[in-house]
Amino acid sequence: MDRTVVHIECDGVGKSYLQKGRTVPVLEGLSFGVRERELLVVLGPGQSGKTTLLRLMAGLEAPDAGCVRMHGEPVTGPGTDRGLVFQSYMLFPWLTVLGNVEIGLDIQGRRTGATRAQARDKARAYLDMVGLSGFEDYFPHQLSGGMKQRVGIARAYALEPQVMLLDEPFGQLDAQTRLSMEQETERIWRANRKTMVFVTNNIDEAVYLADRIAILEGKLPGRLAAIRDVPLPRPRDPMDVAFLRLREEITAMQKLAL
Amino acid sequence: MRTAPPPGRNRMRLRLLSVGSLLAFVLLWQLCVAPEGVSDWRIPRIMLSPPSEVAALFVDKLTNPKPDGETLVVHAWVSMQEAFLGYLLALLVGIPLGLAMGWFRTVRGLLRPIFEMIRPIPPVAWIPLTVFWFGIGLGGKVFIIWMSGVVPCVINAYIGVRMANPTYINMSRTYGATDWQVFTRACIPSALPMVFGALQIALVYCWITLVAAELLASDKGIGYLITTGRFLGRTDLVLVGMVSVGLTGALISLIIDRIEARLLAGLRR
Amino acid sequence: MATTRNAAGPCAGSAKAPSPLNEAPGARGRARGLRGSEYPLHVVSLVLFFAIWQWAGSRIPEAGAALATPTQVMASLADLYRTQFAGLTLPGHIWASAVRVLAGFAIAVALGIPAGLGMAYSPVFRALFNPIFCLLKPMPPLAWISVAILWMGIGEAPKIFIIVLGSLIPVILNSYNGLLLIDEEMYDVVRMLGGNRWDRIRLVSAPAALPSIGAGLQIAISVAWGSVVAAEMVSSRSGLGFIIMQGMKISDPGMIISGMVVIALLAFLSSLLVEALLRRVCVWQHDIGNL
Repeated sequence: MDRTVVHIECDGVGKSYLQKGRTVPVLEGLSFGVRERELLVVLGPGQSGKTTLLRLMAGLEAPDAGCVRMHGEPVTGPGTDRGLVFQSYMLFPWLTVLGNVEIGLDIQGRRTGATRAQARDKARAYLDMVGLSGFEDYFPHQLSGGMKQRVGIARAYALEPQVMLLDEPFGQLDAQTRLSMEQETERIWRANRKTMVFVTNNIDEAVYLADRIAILEGKLPGRLAAIRDVPLPRPRDPMDVAFLRLREEITAMQKLAL
Repeated sequence: MRTAPPPGRNRMRLRLLSVGSLLAFVLLWQLCVAPEGVSDWRIPRIMLSPPSEVAALFVDKLTNPKPDGETLVVHAWVSMQEAFLGYLLALLVGIPLGLAMGWFRTVRGLLRPIFEMIRPIPPVAWIPLTVFWFGIGLGGKVFIIWMSGVVPCVINAYIGVRMANPTYINMSRTYGATDWQVFTRACIPSALPMVFGALQIALVYCWITLVAAELLASDKGIGYLITTGRFLGRTDLVLVGMVSVGLTGALISLIIDRIEARLLAGLRR
Repeated sequence: MATTRNAAGPCAGSAKAPSPLNEAPGARGRARGLRGSEYPLHVVSLVLFFAIWQWAGSRIPEAGAALATPTQVMASLADLYRTQFAGLTLPGHIWASAVRVLAGFAIAVALGIPAGLGMAYSPVFRALFNPIFCLLKPMPPLAWISVAILWMGIGEAPKIFIIVLGSLIPVILNSYNGLLLIDEEMYDVVRMLGGNRWDRIRLVSAPAALPSIGAGLQIAISVAWGSVVAAEMVSSRSGLGFIIMQGMKISDPGMIISGMVVIALLAFLSSLLVEALLRRVCVWQHDIGNL
């Protein structure tokens, strides 16, 4: 792969955990690169180490083996150049929608000296981006699952990271909401073209969103089974013949990986 | 599966620290009390006895009925008897009552106002009335302990029923269960964890109230030992009583912890 | 995959707030019939209760001596209010008890919250203090009264000391659990947004532990009222516990029950006050009563 365009990459990454006194390997020898402005989907069934992979890329944890690099520099910890969207939303229930989006800006403002009003304006702009204008003063418990995750996305975008990492962001949503959230994600991604790593266990979601799909093996330790290009034009139609054919192909690859 | 548990060596070190802190506490206590006949910066003997003496008296009191009339074993036995009797009665009355209040509207409507009225009265405040009603023997003690234990039992059983998983209840209804069957087969089992939660709370309440009751009105029991020590000006006796109360209390809550864990594990299986 | 953190607190077991029964969350109208109102039943129940009490107190001769009727209790209350008893009228005694409760409660809060948080925050701190805490926990506060009087004389200090000991435990336990039971991913949010250790404490620990600490305070204030009564019953010349004890000494059940009624009212009101305060502070919590 051409090094110059690789934005964030995993190089021989391995990770294991201690569980009940036994070492359980979760990831092993995982290598792939994400190109700049690319939307890469990591596809794998439950218990294949997807979340761990994303946490390593986020820098929340350090790999036991190998290395995560960003623009060739090893990742040593979490940073605002990467934005993470959590599977279980992780909104702060004691803050309003606006307050939740403002957290990062508030932390940043203490260093850069940006005023509270500036933070507020920016937070409002990103809430508008995810279609939540008018809900600024709601508390998370007053929102539906889809709306909660919109807040989660706005919160991650608000600090304007270079790479967005999304950990099964729509896993808890119903099919209808999920579809509209996927469309929304694609729209946002096309609008600002940030490098995006999107983790999912849903093949439709993967084919709908991805430039390329990294398929994980379906058992621990997670290894890379294959990387597949998705050369379909956007926006994609899940009922389109080419879409369905690709979907079938990837299903077969996944079965093989199991 | 994110944070690895602390490695064994680290845990070992923390445990050592715990033991060390306890030893340091006892040592400090010992060093801070002045020996017989000496008066300097240290705490005089009438205010605090050193742990060595407390321990010695503790061993001695196991068999020696002087100066309060009974051996420590008898005192402890009397206290335990009262505590467990009151506790058992509290469970036997409180849990069914709470369950019924949660499920049956009539029971709830009739009993709630009275319950809410009695609930904020500190159990200790019942002691004088109890002495009028039952005297200072076993009956009075058991009544007060029952009073303090029954409240958490009712509350937890009640909340347990009210928070019972509606899926189970609706499923039982769908399969044509009668109201009574829904209550006994779906509602009570799903309230059980909450009920178990009451077991420990109630026991701790019972134990605390018991000692208070014995301090105020009694002729036997660990609380009585403390009162006697106080009137005789025997600090060492008071401390023996306190240590016994603390140890017994810790033991009781340990046992209940174990039982609870066992029962809940059985329930999950 | 979620971490199962060792949540076994100081000696395990968390204190649960004895919540008002009408607060059972999500239960409204679910578990069988809130069909029809319960209020008529409440009226029936209260009328029956007081009627039986009045009847028993006035008709059964043996009960009369030990069970003042509601009217006698009212008379006794009015009497305590109007005339001085041991140099104080009823408001004076209430004030005496209330000052002790407030002082003891304030000290318990000031000591207990940092102690509980410290134990949750630092394993070393926990290892140091947990053994002592575990020994003190099952010790009824009143057991300390003898040594407290020996050490501090018969003034206010020993009573306040007893209250502190009693209310300290729920404060410590709930602060500890409140901090320990926070989902660790909450901290990851702040880390991802560039926050440092102080940001994590400020943005996550503090607000997330608040409801649990508040519930601890609610338990503590009830315990404080119980402890003040106990302490005053053992040694005091003022306060509600003193009234109850004097009622026992002069065999006046009306006076005893008067004392009990006032104590119950005060304990109830202060618990309500703490809850209202919590609702104010923790607006996002809709089931505070049941933490």
